[in-house]
Amino acid sequence: MALLSRVADRIYWAGRYIERAEDSSRVVRSFGDMLADLPTADAAQWSTLRTVAGSDAGARVSDGSDEMAVVEFLLADPEHHNSVAKTVEFCRENLRTCREVLPREAWQTVNDLALYVRQNAATSLDRRKREAFLTRVINDSRRLDGVLISSMTRDEAFEMWRLGRYIERADMTTRVVGVRAATLLALPPGAVDEFAEVRWMSVLRSLSALQMYQRASRGSIQGPDVVRFLLFDHRFPRSVAGCLAEVRSSLLRLPANETTMQAIEAADRQLRDCRPAADDGVALDNALDGLQLSLIELNNAIADRYLQF
Amino acid sequence: MTLLDGLGMDELRERQAASDLEILTMGITFTVYSDGENIDRAWPFDVVPRLIAGTEWEQVERGLAQRLRALNMFIDDVYNDRRIVADGIFPNELLDDSVNYRPECQGVSPKFGVWAHISGSDLVRGGDGDFYVLEDNLRVPSGVSYVIENRGVAKRTFPELFQQRRVRPVDGYTDELNKLLSSLAPDGVAEPMIAVLTPGIFNSAYFEHSFLAQRMGAELVEGADLTVGDDDCVYMNTIQGPERVDVIYRRIDDLFLDPEVFLEDSMLGVPGLMRAWKAGNVGIANAPGAGVADDKCVYAWVPDMIRYYLDEEPLIKNVPTYRCMYESEREYVLANLHELVLKPANESGGYGILIGDRATPEELEAAAESVRADPRNWVAQPILELSTAPTLVEEGIEPRHLDLRPFVLTGEGSYVTAGGLTRVALTKGSLIVNSSQGGGSKDTWIIDGIADAEPLGTGSTTSAADPPPEPLSQTQSQQQGVS
Repeated sequence: MALLSRVADRIYWAGRYIERAEDSSRVVRSFGDMLADLPTADAAQWSTLRTVAGSDAGARVSDGSDEMAVVEFLLADPEHHNSVAKTVEFCRENLRTCREVLPREAWQTVNDLALYVRQNAATSLDRRKREAFLTRVINDSRRLDGVLISSMTRDEAFEMWRLGRYIERADMTTRVVGVRAATLLALPPGAVDEFAEVRWMSVLRSLSALQMYQRASRGSIQGPDVVRFLLFDHRFPRSVAGCLAEVRSSLLRLPANETTMQAIEAADRQLRDCRPAADDGVALDNALDGLQLSLIELNNAIADRYLQF
Repeated sequence: MTLLDGLGMDELRERQAASDLEILTMGITFTVYSDGENIDRAWPFDVVPRLIAGTEWEQVERGLAQRLRALNMFIDDVYNDRRIVADGIFPNELLDDSVNYRPECQGVSPKFGVWAHISGSDLVRGGDGDFYVLEDNLRVPSGVSYVIENRGVAKRTFPELFQQRRVRPVDGYTDELNKLLSSLAPDGVAEPMIAVLTPGIFNSAYFEHSFLAQRMGAELVEGADLTVGDDDCVYMNTIQGPERVDVIYRRIDDLFLDPEVFLEDSMLGVPGLMRAWKAGNVGIANAPGAGVADDKCVYAWVPDMIRYYLDEEPLIKNVPTYRCMYESEREYVLANLHELVLKPANESGGYGILIGDRATPEELEAAAESVRADPRNWVAQPILELSTAPTLVEEGIEPRHLDLRPFVLTGEGSYVTAGGLTRVALTKGSLIVNSSQGGGSKDTWIIDGIADAEPLGTGSTTSAADPPPEPLSQTQSQQQGVS
């Protein structure tokens, strides 16, 4: 079965968009949970989510922006192309133009979600309704994966979908660790943050990693351990190492993969270089910048090799 | 409607609502261009099915297969020997100035002598109860995906009715289409690569292009996905590199197909496609140039074509058509314009049509002028009341006007869909069935074991049928693509 480059491009990006929508939803949810457990002064921190969601370019939300402004920006803003509403819509538009290569239920799932998001994104700003909205996005994103995993032939289109999802996921984990964990680790020596545990739990929750981390570490929550788990525990499917392993296995199944394999090797090297930095906030921040760049290079290598038409 | 008598009005409305929701969720849509924006609208579906008796339908099937056979022989003849002209049956001048005649196709002989492989003829039931062919759509007719989707929705809406009686299935169409397209592959290709060529997501029929590609396991391609190599073969750009394409089911107009030959600024087509086709390296359905027989003037000759090529009598009726190029017919038209429908021969989409009994004296006079100025470009037909069927509307179940578009496949053999796309005018008294203008659609059931499934008289006037003006429809003015 042949795969058109144009179709490959749309599927790859559909995977990235839906993963972005899911991940952003999870970050917003875990952040709200955390703030409920913290002193009220911390409410001003909503604006840090802007960076986590990879949307620092937007001038619409600034450092002093309040919860409503940030949440609207991240979830519902039609002008913001990384908002959940937009990324779901983009995913739908992309899959609408490659329905012939996907199982029909996949299209129906994303179409259904897009209809829901169109009707409900605005009401998700209300805290009481937000949880239902975020859960729906997260669940439908996983349902989409489920449909494909359980009923799609392992062809090249399927690998494109996986590449999109795992690169986006690696990107998000890198950003969560880079922004939130690095900040937590960078506290001045001797300073004690009595809410450190709450904050680290929130970091883990924003990647659906809390329970698996606790199981791996027998319950104790230590900053450097959390960082190591999220970066290097390849058994955990949202860790960067886990994501890169999945990317590698997909690249191996695609034709003429010399340049893309070089790019994944480079990303693996960057990840290894992060290892000594796991205890040091500043060093970690720098090392993760390098990792981010290597993910961009990886994306470009895939685009150059397969997605140009 | 004994069929639905068991259901109360509330129940029926509930089922309508359920089917509307399903259509929305499944993403069965058509695209409307409005206010500079493309809007993807849910497909309008009326839950009350239209019933046609199997015995009657077999008659229609034979008639359509015969008609398309003759039309294809005509097209092949036109681009080759023009025997029909030499034998004095058909006037040569109608060909050379037809906007759908493609001189570039002269001398080409596609497989089986077939050019219009896929057609969607528009039928109406006249006041005499018979089906008439209103027009033959031989270029890129659309709507068949909705026939299949409507059936899927109807089955889930009225599962009990499908248990009670045998409704002929419509699902087989895509398989037949796949077989037909495969048969057009260059000789020696065992497993042909088939591609559906679409103008893209902004086309009103994009849903259908995607649907057909899915159902056939074919590639859905846009012009930019294809290239023609120095070897005059067609290739598509895949992640593996160029891959040979053997058959193209094109859903774009002739003139956009190949910028080397037709419109040179076309972004939708593929440079060199005509070269590849003429060299026999790719099959194209429908063949370029097939539209030459899809002309309101040529239409008038179809019964003659059937007699000439097949030596048979037409099995399905043509609407009587007066050709203004002939003086006697023109005089009749000019004298009776107020009770005729006047159509320009080379326009489609209902443009330039005059309905005599609704026109002002000034309009009639202007139309008469146009006829005298360019007689070849005008034909006229009598006005006909078109039949109705019970339809669920705001007020309850009421008769509404409808038409029917069956799809005909012609290759080595022929295939006609069981039923077709029934389009219904949802506004009382309206004859406009187009979905973009508030028309709806119905599932069409071909049912065996009943005599007269579609009784006459439900709102249609039976005309006196006093020739020459035979019963005819006004919707011909509205006949165009599904959207």
